[in-house]
Amino acid sequence: MKFFNRLLIDFAYYLQNSVAYQQKRRFFYNLLENDEYKYKKYFDICMIILIFSSVSILIYEVKKDVHDYLNIFNSYVISFIFLIEYLLRLWVASSVSKVIINQDEYSDLLGREFDLWFVTKKILKEKFEYILSPKAIIDLLAIMPFFHELRLLRIFILFRVFKLFRYAKSFQTFSSVLATKKFEFVTLGMFASIVIFVSSVLIYVMEANDPNSPIKTLYEAFYWSIVTISTVGYGDVVAVSKEGQFVAVVVILAGIAVLAFTTSLFVSAFTEKLDDIKESKTIQDISKNKRVYLICGYENIAKEVAKKLLLAKFHVVVIDDSLQRVEDAKKDGLTALNYNPGSIESYAKLNIDMSVQVKAILCLREDDVANVYTALTVRSINTDVFIMSLLMNSKNRNKLIYSGVNEILYDKEFVGLVAREYVGQPVAFEAIHTLRSETSAIHMEEIAITERILAKYPTVEKLENIKYRIVLLGVHKKSSSKFFFNPSDDTELETGDFLLVIGNYMFIREFNKHLSHKGEV
Amino acid sequence: MKKAAALIFGYNEYGIEIAKNVKYKYENVTVFSLSDMGFSIENKDDYDIEKFDVSDDWEHLKSEYEMQDSIIFCALRDEAENIFLTISLRSAFQESMIIALANNNEDANKLRMAGASKVIPIVETTAGIITDMLKKPIITEVLHGILYENSNLEIEQITVHNVEYFGEKFPADIEWHKEYNVIILLVIHEDMSSEFIYSSKTKHHYIKKGDIFVAVGYENDLKKFKKLVGDER
Repeated sequence: MKFFNRLLIDFAYYLQNSVAYQQKRRFFYNLLENDEYKYKKYFDICMIILIFSSVSILIYEVKKDVHDYLNIFNSYVISFIFLIEYLLRLWVASSVSKVIINQDEYSDLLGREFDLWFVTKKILKEKFEYILSPKAIIDLLAIMPFFHELRLLRIFILFRVFKLFRYAKSFQTFSSVLATKKFEFVTLGMFASIVIFVSSVLIYVMEANDPNSPIKTLYEAFYWSIVTISTVGYGDVVAVSKEGQFVAVVVILAGIAVLAFTTSLFVSAFTEKLDDIKESKTIQDISKNKRVYLICGYENIAKEVAKKLLLAKFHVVVIDDSLQRVEDAKKDGLTALNYNPGSIESYAKLNIDMSVQVKAILCLREDDVANVYTALTVRSINTDVFIMSLLMNSKNRNKLIYSGVNEILYDKEFVGLVAREYVGQPVAFEAIHTLRSETSAIHMEEIAITERILAKYPTVEKLENIKYRIVLLGVHKKSSSKFFFNPSDDTELETGDFLLVIGNYMFIREFNKHLSHKGEV
Repeated sequence: MKKAAALIFGYNEYGIEIAKNVKYKYENVTVFSLSDMGFSIENKDDYDIEKFDVSDDWEHLKSEYEMQDSIIFCALRDEAENIFLTISLRSAFQESMIIALANNNEDANKLRMAGASKVIPIVETTAGIITDMLKKPIITEVLHGILYENSNLEIEQITVHNVEYFGEKFPADIEWHKEYNVIILLVIHEDMSSEFIYSSKTKHHYIKKGDIFVAVGYENDLKKFKKLVGDER
């Protein structure tokens, strides 16, 4: 026995340390259970298609003969796929090797013998917890049509529809919302059951012996109760005796109460959870974005910045600890969350990879203390993300630098510089301002030199910008990170360089097309 | 003798930044404060500080400064006071250049109505610079260097006096960047309307005396070019 135990423990350690095994397990876990995994949606779509094709075949064969291939497909192929899925889910639901290792370590620590029986019980308990979960039961029932010779089991194909709950997120949201009112629904169920039971028995007692009454059996009495209590009232089975009609009146009144209670339960469950649902939907949308600007604090300058970024079709997310400001951001058409920008938890909730998905964090509270705190919080999570921050009081500049801000934005300095240029070159300043304004047809653009552009246009001379009525102000060289004004015709271009061009936006677009065009020069 | 000066109303961080930045152009820079409390001794050499009241009649300014050549900045933090100050100064000095700071576009309109020649809306200006930094970082860096910093590259407005030099040529037909190592961006006509160098209108416009070119280039090249077109102010 000891030898067997040792063998089992060694095997558990082997599995736990095996990269290939763990990779496969992680892959299947992601595919089956991880909503963030990019390939899961394709798997879910395939399963949904299988479910619908299975149900379609079932409906079709009610009135018409179905080809044997389709029957085999429905009964065996789909069932087999579902069986594989079921077994994979059972596998990834809990780790057997982990339980064995934990128990071995525990026994080692306390100097006890490894208890195989205890471990087996623990493993079975964990597996059965999964097997007996509602979703796993539905999965199992969906495999039943495999035994299609048993005619009754064919109806289990319909259980495959319930599997949709697994694959469609909205169904999961629906059930999770209703789950919050579990106690109320149980109470309602108890009340409705009692009313149905009492009314069925009462109507049976009152009507069963009346020769004119259609209610002859307890089943008919039960059917009548359900139809009446649900306020449907088909009229095919009705009470005819005075006593029976009195029971009907009481049941109808009780039915109204049941119906009202049910409706209000649904409504209140959704009303209470609406904000949470919206928030989780917002977070889901944010986490899908590849490059977002995260604005921390939504005050005057932030409003203008967000408006301009939105106009330029960038993804902007606002977080602010003031509910009022978050509401303002939402009214302005932004994605906004009532999170504290100074809390690490806020960024964890956002569920985004800051290094990859965030273009820049903009600390735009008009309060240096809040901006320093936000910048430090962000820096403590991620050392690379680009942080810009407003500075309200020049005395706090060093504090922002120490908190890890990459670019400090001091509005007083901007005003000073604008004034400087305006007193020096008012006409030129106005002209440049006009060029930079969004309403002007003349744009200033940066055109990145790609390998494709470089293959056809290795030097400035080849660009033909004047033909496109474009002014080439200069080239920003990647290699030296320097700007070269008015480059000579023989200036060689490199991948990663930027052309700084000025011209009518339509001509710039044409020029860009001309540069990126695949054909020969 | 009266002197031209930069008169900055508002002893606050905006006023001080303006004072620092206009010092290169005006020998006399005075910052006016509403209160005589808490004057900092920093930058005492850059500007003078005087106390004022918004209900002043400005007679002392008239007697001390050449107001037509002076520039006035209204930079009070209280918007209502700033508008009142602008109206008050405009009524006293019809010909002066008055630049006013506004918190936002709404206040900017009121300041224009109050007589400001130019309004700098703080929020919009700051937001514009931030957005430019994010959208077009390289352009912003280059323009910032050209416009605001002491780089060799400069932007100049050059008035054409020596029109004969160009003969009967259209601006778009001249290879400015090759011939003079300057790039002409805009042509500003007599009516002060500006046109892009390659716009259809400029393509059919003969260079005339009084036209202003907005040119970018190195300091020496611009000087030479100015000499050629007869703008030797």
